[in-house]
Amino acid sequence: METPGAVEMFPSLTHESHAGDRWNPYHEFYKDDFQPRLHYKPLWEQIQRAGQNALASKAREAHLALHAEGVTFTVYSDKDQGIERVWPFDVIPRIITAAEWLQIEAGLKQRVRALNLFLKDLYHGQRVIKDGVIPAELIYKGKDFRREIMDVDVPGDIYTHISGIDLIRDDNGRYLVLEDNLRTPSGVSYMIENRILERRILPEFFTQYRVRRVEHYPQLLLQALRHVSPRGKESAEIVVLTPGIYNSAYFEHTFLAREMGVELAEGRDLAVKNNIVYLKTTRGLRRVDVIYRRVDDDFLDPLCLREDSTLGIAGVINAWRAGNVALVNAPGSGIADDKAVYAYVPAIIRYYLGEQPILQNVPTYQMTNPDHAAYVLDHLDCMVVKAVAESGGYGMLMGPSATPALRAQFAAKVKEDPRNYIAQPVVPLSRHVCYLDGELESRHIDLRPYIIYGQEIEVVPGGLTRVALTKGSLVVNSSQGGGSKDTWVLADPSAVAFGEGASEAV
Amino acid sequence: MLSRIADSLYWMSRYLERVDHTARFIDINRLYMLEAEDTISESAQWRPLLTIVGADAAYAERHPGADVTARRAINFMIQDRNNPGSLYASLRLARENARAVRDRISRAMWEGINELWLYTEQRVHSGLSLEVVDELLHMVRKEVALFHGLTVNTMMRGQPFSFYLLGTFVERADMTARLLDVKYHLLLPDASMVGSALDYYQWAALLKSLSGFEAYRRKFHATFRPIDVAEFVLFEPEFPRSLAFSVERMAQALAQLDDTPATRAGQSLQGIRAMLAEHSGASVFNFGLHEFLEQFLAAIAEFNEALQVDYFEAYLGTKECVI
Repeated sequence: METPGAVEMFPSLTHESHAGDRWNPYHEFYKDDFQPRLHYKPLWEQIQRAGQNALASKAREAHLALHAEGVTFTVYSDKDQGIERVWPFDVIPRIITAAEWLQIEAGLKQRVRALNLFLKDLYHGQRVIKDGVIPAELIYKGKDFRREIMDVDVPGDIYTHISGIDLIRDDNGRYLVLEDNLRTPSGVSYMIENRILERRILPEFFTQYRVRRVEHYPQLLLQALRHVSPRGKESAEIVVLTPGIYNSAYFEHTFLAREMGVELAEGRDLAVKNNIVYLKTTRGLRRVDVIYRRVDDDFLDPLCLREDSTLGIAGVINAWRAGNVALVNAPGSGIADDKAVYAYVPAIIRYYLGEQPILQNVPTYQMTNPDHAAYVLDHLDCMVVKAVAESGGYGMLMGPSATPALRAQFAAKVKEDPRNYIAQPVVPLSRHVCYLDGELESRHIDLRPYIIYGQEIEVVPGGLTRVALTKGSLVVNSSQGGGSKDTWVLADPSAVAFGEGASEAV
Repeated sequence: MLSRIADSLYWMSRYLERVDHTARFIDINRLYMLEAEDTISESAQWRPLLTIVGADAAYAERHPGADVTARRAINFMIQDRNNPGSLYASLRLARENARAVRDRISRAMWEGINELWLYTEQRVHSGLSLEVVDELLHMVRKEVALFHGLTVNTMMRGQPFSFYLLGTFVERADMTARLLDVKYHLLLPDASMVGSALDYYQWAALLKSLSGFEAYRRKFHATFRPIDVAEFVLFEPEFPRSLAFSVERMAQALAQLDDTPATRAGQSLQGIRAMLAEHSGASVFNFGLHEFLEQFLAAIAEFNEALQVDYFEAYLGTKECVI
C-alpha cells in the first residue's frame, strides 16, 4: 500500500500481531508485511476514506436493520428453551478472486457429483463396498445409513439436491474441505441477507469491484425442485417443510418459502392417504409433489423412523417409495456426510469419476483404527475431535482450548464408541479483518458455498463466510457465537487484474 | 390456503386486538384516577377492569386477600407472569402467530409487530414506573393502529386478508360487549335515569376507551343516558367499534372467503345479525342488557367454533381431494 496513514483513525494494520497465536494462519486481507493484498486494495482505501466514525455508524445501522427485520437465529442451551439472537453481521466483506473461484467451483461440482454416485451405489448394488474402497463396517455402523430405503429409485438419481460444503484455508492459503453438509444445510438466507444489507449500507464499497450476484439462489432452488416433481414440472406443487417457529433456522425456512412463492408447511399441515401426500387447506386437501424438507431424517416419518416424532408426516416414506412425492434432500443422504466417511471422499471421487480430487481434505484420523486412536489420544491438545453424525459445532472437542477435564471426558467417549468419533489436527483457519467494537481486528473465518443439483450442478458464486468472533477462536458456528460477512466473488478475471490472489492462493 | 396459516392469521389479529383493548382500558382508567374527588375507591375503580379481561381469578391467586390497587392491577394486566391474558402475553402470542405466517404477511406488517414486541419487552424488563406505563400504553395504541394501516395498505386481498379481518372484528365485538356488560353492572340500575357527575365521568370513560366520545356527543346532544350509550355502542352502524359494525365486517370478510354461504360459520353469523336486528337501545333494556350481552358473547364463541370446523379443520370434513 502506497499511503499508509492516509486517515489517522486507521493508520495501518500493524497494531495487530501474531504473538500469542500458536500458528501462523493465512491472512486473507493482508500479506506478511501488513500491506493489503492486491484485490483488497480498493476496499482498504474505501475503509480509510470512510474512517472510524462512518464505519461505526454503518455497523450500528446494520445491527438495527437486522433487529427490526427480525433476521435472527436461535441458540440452544441447557438452561433455556432457545434464545433468539440477531444475526451477527460484520460490515467488512470477504473477497474471492475469479481465479480462486474457478477452482473452488470445479472442486465442489466434482465432489457433489461423486457423492451422488456414491449414494446411489450404497442404496443399490454397493459396488463401492465390494470393491473394497470403503469398509462395510463403516457404512453399516453409520447412524445415517437407512436400510429402510434400499433399492428405492429416486427421481433423476439425485440425492443431494442442496449441499453446503465447508471450506477453510490452511497456512499456505490452500482451500481444503472441512466437512460436507448434505442433509439440510442452512445459512443460505443469511448469504442473501448479508448481500442486501452490505449493498444498502455500504454501496461505496462496491464501486471499484465487479461482484457476482447471489440473489437468484431461490430461483435456482425452485427450478431444481420442479425438476424432480413426479407429476412433471408444470403441475408441481412444492412445499418447504419446517419443524416450526422454534427451530433455529426458522427464519431461513420462511425466507425460502417466500422467495419461491411456495407454502411453508409443518408436519401437521400434511397428511398421507393412499400413498399420496396432501396439504390441509381451508378448502380441503391438495396434492403435494415435492417436499423440500428442513426436518432431519429421524423425524420425517413416525411410521418408518422415529415413532415419537411430532414434526413429521406419517406415511411419507411410503409415498416417497411409491414415487408419488419427491423428498429433497433424499432420506439417507446423511451417510455421505458422516464424518467417518469424509476421510474416504477423495477415494470415492477417484473411484466413481476416475479423476483426482480438485479440493483436498483435512487429514483425518479414524478412531476405529487402533494406531490412529492411540496417536490422537496422546495428542488431544492439538486435535479437533468430532462426533461423526453431529453438526453445528455440537458434540465437538477443540483440543487446544479445552480444559484437561473435558479432554479426559472426550478420551473416555472415544474409547467407548470409536466409530462415533474422528479427529483432525487443528487447522489454523485463515483470518480476515473484521470491524468489532470500533476496532479493526483479525478473526478466523471459513466459507460455506451452496451447491444445487437439479438438471445441472450449479454453485452460487459466493457463500456464507462465517467468523469466529472470539479472538483466537476457531469455532465459527453461529450456534456457538459465530458471526458472518458478505462474501464477494469477483467477475471476469480479465476485467479485474488481480492475478496475485490466484497465483499465491491455490 | 393452509388451514394452519388461516388459524394463525386469525389469532394474530385477535391477540393484537386484545392488546389494543387492554391498553385502552388501562389508559382511560388511569386518566380518570388522577382526579379523585369522587367517593369511588381505588379498588372499585380497578376491579371491573380485571373482570372485563377475565382476570379476576388469576389476580386473586396472585394477590390473595389483598385489595385491588391501581399499581397492582396495572402491573398485573400489563405484564404479570401469572396472568395469561396480560398485554405482554397477548402481544407475545400475536407476534408468535405473525412469525408462523411470516411468509404470508407483508414485510411491513411483520416489522411493525416485531418492533412493537421488542419495544414492549424491553420496557417490561426495565420495570414499570408510572411514566413508563404511560409511554408504553401510548406506544402500543399507536403501533397497533400503524399495524392496521400497514395491513390495509400492503396486504393482498385474498383469503388471508379475510382471516385477518375476522380475527380483528370477532375480538373487537367480544371485548366491546364485555366492557359494556361490566360497566353497566357497576353504573346503573335505572336505564332512563339522568346521571350524576360521577356517571358522566364513568360513561365518558367508557366511550373514550372505545374512541367514541366525540362521535357520541355529536349524535346525542343531551347527556349521558345509559339507554343512549347502549344504543350507540351496540347498534350504531357507523361507529367502528360498535357490535353492529363489527358484525357487518365479519359478514363481509366471510362473504369474500366463500362463495357458498351455507357454511356453519355463515349460519352462525346470520343468527348474530338477526339478534342485533331484533333490538334497539330501548328494547335491550326491557329484555335485560346483561342477558342480551351474555347471549351475544355465547353466539360469538359459537361463531369462533364454526370457523374452526369450516376452515381451520376443513380437512377433517367431507371436503377432500380438491385437486
